[in-house]
Amino acid sequence: MTRKVALFVTCLVDLMRPRIGFAAIRALEAAGCEVVVPEGQTCCGQPALNSGDRDHAVALAKQTIAALEPYEAVVVPSGSCAGTIRCHYPELFEHDAAWLPRAHAVAGKTFEIMAYLDEVCGWRPEGVSLDAKATYHDSCSGLRELGIKAQPRRLLKSVEGLRLAPLQGEETCCGFGGTFCVKYPSISNAIVGEKADAIDATGADLLLAADLGCLMNMAGKLNRKGSKVRAFHAIELIAGMGDGPAIGEEA
Amino acid sequence: MSGFTDRVDLALADRILKVAVERTAGTAEAKRAVAVDAFPDFEAARDRAAAIKDHVVAHLGAYLEQFEAKAIAAGAKVHWASTADEACRIVIDICKAAGAKSVARSKSMLGEEIGLPHALAEAGIGRVETDLAEHIIQLADERPSHIIWPAMHKTREQVSALFKAKHRSPHEEETIAAMAESARRELRTQMLGADVGISGANFLIADTGAVCTVTNEGNAELSLVPPRVHIVTAGIEKIVPSMPHAIHMLRMLARSATGATLTQYTTFYTGPKRADDRDGPEEMHIVLVDNGRTKMREEGLAEMLRCIRCGACMNHCVVFRQIGGHAYGGTYPGPMGAVLTPVFDGLKQSRELASACTLNGKCQEVCPVRIPLPTLLRGWREKSWREGLEPTSMRWGLGIWAWVARRPALYRFGTGVAVRVMQILGKKGWISRLPLAGGWTRYRDMPKPAPQTFMNQYKKGRRT
Amino acid sequence: MSARDAILAKLKGAAPDKAAADALLIAPERPAVDTGALEAEFLARLALPSVSASHDAIDTVADLPAAVARYLAAQGEPHTLCLPRDPRLSACDWSGFTLHEAAAPDEVATLAIARLGIAETGSLVFETAPQAPMLPNFLALHHIVLLAVEDIAAHLEDAPLVGAQPRAHYWITGVSGTTDIEGTYVRGAHGPRFLHVILLRGAVG
Repeated sequence: MTRKVALFVTCLVDLMRPRIGFAAIRALEAAGCEVVVPEGQTCCGQPALNSGDRDHAVALAKQTIAALEPYEAVVVPSGSCAGTIRCHYPELFEHDAAWLPRAHAVAGKTFEIMAYLDEVCGWRPEGVSLDAKATYHDSCSGLRELGIKAQPRRLLKSVEGLRLAPLQGEETCCGFGGTFCVKYPSISNAIVGEKADAIDATGADLLLAADLGCLMNMAGKLNRKGSKVRAFHAIELIAGMGDGPAIGEEA
Repeated sequence: MSGFTDRVDLALADRILKVAVERTAGTAEAKRAVAVDAFPDFEAARDRAAAIKDHVVAHLGAYLEQFEAKAIAAGAKVHWASTADEACRIVIDICKAAGAKSVARSKSMLGEEIGLPHALAEAGIGRVETDLAEHIIQLADERPSHIIWPAMHKTREQVSALFKAKHRSPHEEETIAAMAESARRELRTQMLGADVGISGANFLIADTGAVCTVTNEGNAELSLVPPRVHIVTAGIEKIVPSMPHAIHMLRMLARSATGATLTQYTTFYTGPKRADDRDGPEEMHIVLVDNGRTKMREEGLAEMLRCIRCGACMNHCVVFRQIGGHAYGGTYPGPMGAVLTPVFDGLKQSRELASACTLNGKCQEVCPVRIPLPTLLRGWREKSWREGLEPTSMRWGLGIWAWVARRPALYRFGTGVAVRVMQILGKKGWISRLPLAGGWTRYRDMPKPAPQTFMNQYKKGRRT
Repeated sequence: MSARDAILAKLKGAAPDKAAADALLIAPERPAVDTGALEAEFLARLALPSVSASHDAIDTVADLPAAVARYLAAQGEPHTLCLPRDPRLSACDWSGFTLHEAAAPDEVATLAIARLGIAETGSLVFETAPQAPMLPNFLALHHIVLLAVEDIAAHLEDAPLVGAQPRAHYWITGVSGTTDIEGTYVRGAHGPRFLHVILLRGAVG
């Protein structure tokens, strides 16, 4: 039976690193899914939600719900965007009898990509190899809102030649925090500075995570401090695209 | 008073502060982890602790009346205060009636919250802070920077210099043990000579009228047993139904705060000394303080009334660990402080606290009573937005972005333009200066995006 | 309106249901204690770094003065003792000791009887009473505590008194300590720097 899934690309992947979206499609297809990319999607509304701008958050949530509800399942290559849909949409419509069931319905069938591939599909990458030492950062929303922890590690284990080096403070926030990093850049910098040092201390060639916002923050800091560590979204490696350009490398 | 960002800049520039905060909070984090691992089913215990507090908050009025009746029956006098000023006035009046020249105070965050140190000074009543950290704070004429370790921001070198300048017979050896000994010598006679002992309460036991204090130093008992009068100032949310409920909360408190299985000294005071007792105060007064708590209960912050002031949220907060407690500007720092300070100081004064958080959820993960701190902070952000307190640039920026994001075709056009602009600004894959994102590129580089957005490439038929 | 009325007016609601409150206490999560080996469990907790208490054992109360003398001698302290006016203690032969009833600010050692020991935490449980002052137990450098082995209970829930409460019911779990300077633990912040438990195999009397 083919699973039909809608890919919610996320605004950041759409804008900054499309190959994460294509890697997601490739991995989902390898796992036996039929992938469609719904037209009406833009952003899940998380920036508005986290800034207190409820009206715009609601408007974008409605747009996203309408775009995604026709599909069997929705897969998102980001823990924070998936968390927004799964955990916060139902909260947004708590007092809206018309939209609450729709929000719940979409929330119930929306999955972060690692969880979907690992837990729903029970899939493992086959014939994928990459000779590298990587370290993994657990992005906060995925970890604490959705319980994403073992899934990416199980998937990465099937990438031949890939070794995972433990990261000191792997569950500690990188200091991205959406608009936080531009509202309070000096605090954010202090936090990501420590994160970058911890990443360097692993001696890994690659930094992996499953949320582009966090990855851009950490990769941007690593580059500024002259680190040689290269950053990828974990799905890129899982989909066999780990031999391409890392974040911030020319194609 | 300087603004939040000024205080942040000051804190971030202070490398000694960073070292000091890291030493204490880092140790606390590690010790808590060990204690929680050793405890059978800490997650279920958190559920129970939250349920106990929710039960109390739901029936708060009735439990307060029960507590009051029991405390009065045991010989205590119970006072009620709606505001901080009222609470201070009650305490000062009791002190004056007792002819008090000096009071010994055992660390109480509620006392800090209502401004009691200041009120005592204004009334001309001498104050001896007996908790070691509060003693340091008093000598330095500062405010606490943490609710468990008020002097967390000070290094041993700074404490040593302070004691040498202020103690009558200071330590000679440069060790922490010698410094603690110096404070012991300094404070002992002052404690024993106080006319009034003032404490907070960790718990109020409804069915006995007892007030529970916990310390590791023993300073509460030394402050509260010798004086003729004992005054307790307690937030009304400190109630628990009975001793077994308190015991569950005590297990959670010690493990979450310091990683201990229990505090060294856990004392339940019920009324003043009995007729034939050898020691203890002749009068016991309990001041039950609202100061915004009933309002919190009504206005969506009832979950915050679960808080047992363990400090785990701040010990585990990435922001607190960078800026320390003083930058928050309120009595309570860290995540719990960011939720509470707007209640006491007003949202206009303190709206930035809720924003200065990455919403990473670690605080909620370690909270022994499962307070959804990120949700409550989002609530403040929402109120701030609704009341127009957020900066105009932010309001406009988000407004325009959201307006475009609700029009997918226009959005695709806009993102298409954006990536082309960023192509021009980027060099060797990175953008080191990006207009409108100076906060980002001041400290880190921005990866240059691909020449076309995902949606454009997908539309043109790219699939993998 | 008084503050009391104003506060209670905002908190009107159903009276708490005793059954609902009790239901919150069913099978509480707590450290496991081997009830068949309470003494060993208790002693193991006493030895924890956070408790740091020493201990000795005697067979009858009559052996108490010798045990106290042994401890003080080992500590290099004089045989001077603050002894509360408890008939169970006064009955012992304290010859060779300098005794006094009230504790001095620089009191070296005091003796007290714990009503209970708690195996879960290594806590000692006390109450104030005419024969049991509280201050000496916090003032002295050495706190020496007599505890009957049969009075060791498993959990903290066993500690509270039923019925009328004394002025103070208190649990001492180790020596006075502080981590207020740089999070570093040091002993003897304000209270006793040493806690010595003398276990009594027989009954206290």
